[in-house]
Amino acid sequence: MMSPESEPLIRTEQLVKTYEDNGVAVHALRGIDTEIRRGEFTAIVGPSGSGKTTFLNLISGLDKPTSGRVWLGGRELSEMSGGELSDFRRDHVGFIFQSYNLIPVLSVAENVEYVLLLQGVPGVERRRRVEEMLAEVGLAGMAERLPSKLSGGQQQRVAIARAMVSRPDMILADEPTANLDSEMGGELLDMMRELNLRTGMTFLFSTHDLLIMDRAGRVLTLQDGRVVTDVRR
Amino acid sequence: MLLLILAWRNLFRNKRRTFIAGAAIGLGLASLIFTDGLILGMEQTMVRNLTASFLGQGQIHAAGFRQTTAVEKTIHGLKEVVGRLERDPRVSHFAVRALSQGMLSSAADYRPVEVIGVEPDRERLVSQLDDMIVKGRFFTDRNPRDVVVGADLAKDLAVSIGDRVVLTVAQSQTGTLAQDLFFVSGVYRFNSRDLDSGMALILLPKAQDLLALGQNAHEIVLDFRNPDLAGDSKNAFWREYSQGGDEALGWPELMPQVELAFRYSELSLYVLGFILFGVVAFGIINTLFMSIYERIFEFGVLRAIGTRALRVAGMIVLEAAALAVVSIAIGMVFGFLATALFSRVGIDYRGIEMMGVTIRNLIYPVFRVRQFWFYPAWVIVFTVVTSVYPAAYAARIRPAEAMRKTL
Repeated sequence: MMSPESEPLIRTEQLVKTYEDNGVAVHALRGIDTEIRRGEFTAIVGPSGSGKTTFLNLISGLDKPTSGRVWLGGRELSEMSGGELSDFRRDHVGFIFQSYNLIPVLSVAENVEYVLLLQGVPGVERRRRVEEMLAEVGLAGMAERLPSKLSGGQQQRVAIARAMVSRPDMILADEPTANLDSEMGGELLDMMRELNLRTGMTFLFSTHDLLIMDRAGRVLTLQDGRVVTDVRR
Repeated sequence: MLLLILAWRNLFRNKRRTFIAGAAIGLGLASLIFTDGLILGMEQTMVRNLTASFLGQGQIHAAGFRQTTAVEKTIHGLKEVVGRLERDPRVSHFAVRALSQGMLSSAADYRPVEVIGVEPDRERLVSQLDDMIVKGRFFTDRNPRDVVVGADLAKDLAVSIGDRVVLTVAQSQTGTLAQDLFFVSGVYRFNSRDLDSGMALILLPKAQDLLALGQNAHEIVLDFRNPDLAGDSKNAFWREYSQGGDEALGWPELMPQVELAFRYSELSLYVLGFILFGVVAFGIINTLFMSIYERIFEFGVLRAIGTRALRVAGMIVLEAAALAVVSIAIGMVFGFLATALFSRVGIDYRGIEMMGVTIRNLIYPVFRVRQFWFYPAWVIVFTVVTSVYPAAYAARIRPAEAMRKTL
């Protein structure tokens, strides 16, 4: 299923973020106006310190802007309380991290199940969806293993399953291939692209990886807290 | 359920740290269980010593006698009361006594004493006077001029077996002074200053004669088949024998200061427990904070994927509760073993006088069910309450800051 790419999922308006670092003001974002449409497979690129991380933090509700506004699915994030933002992330945002960041004491299935548990999905339904999701990412039969018993590629597959199992509106991925070899990275990106095309889920990558840039439908380049290029293919 | 599993497994991520923290809390619990058993054993020993030595488990007097010790306040219908006691299945032994203040004089000195007229055959069943004789005999000759005194009194009067002493008392009703000559026939020693220096025992008929009591007496000392009856002031026994101007009382009412001291002991134990767990609380806070700092990034991830702050706090509290469970297991095992060991070999406090009672037996710690639910419940409450501070800290972790290094 492919969802229409015309509808904006994320919209930012004059997004500014300034940090205090030892009394010195650090201007991480200097006014970003952009839109991310539903179903897009977008790479945000730029040198270190360009504001990629800050941008992802702000559009996912992990951090609050100094000024400006963010709308996600028609809701303005700055109007939400801490609890509402937690629920919002739980229901609408999936995260994939560079270092996988699975919960080491939970099995593969339990890691994937965790978000569904937060959502209050009934047990039978939870187990069914976890089983389906693990099959989807090629981890059927590994449900009971602990993350420490998996390779890096397998752990990142679990992270992808965890991010997608709750059927969020978008997946935010921070350098998801940085710790993988190019073959494994390519495989995972192909898998995510296939899921993107099939489910219409929006993917947003923060990356330096050419493999991602090659596969991205849009590349947004940041420099010194500003968007310098925005290329759609 | 998954949160519970998560808390339990997180606890064992650093087994050594968990064991050390659990052992600290557990040993605190074990010491409380043992101390509770020791205090209980000490109380039981003291009550046994107190009641078996001279006091008896209960006593019957004329109402008002204990307050005034007036010689004329004798038990009403003594013969009938004695008849009822003889038939009462709850009573194992009893003895009748006559009591009065008097003066005992020897060639060397004189001392105020409590004159006690006793029935030797019954007395030996309710008190240990005959067992504590260190010189002479306990009225074996039934000689009306025999007097048995405590070792300290004998020393004060510089008398020994066979020496003459003169006993002076005030008679009932008239207050007329009466004197008679006695010969020291026995000396006892309880190792209690009160008992060893202040009593002169003579035969009951002689005391009744000297005090002009006729067939009356002042005190009946009781022992029960079930010793617990003595501590149960609501038992019907006390009402049944507190009639017709008499009052029947168990040892807690007769020696309220001992009962009060026992309550203070219990209170002291609670204070000790509070201080003990107060110290341990810092250990728990430290352990939980170390665990949080190690996993700060993980908490960031949990918050990022939608875990509410309150649930993160709940996770820490659950981890603390899991730590409490481990600690309780350790504490109960050590507490049980220590109490079981000393309940066999005993602890030697013999000869020490506490609360006016001289310990004459080894003290054996005693088990009771409460030790294994009340103090463990303390551990749970203490640990969970203590965890609120680290839990509040974990709940305030901001996901963006916690994960700053990656996302």
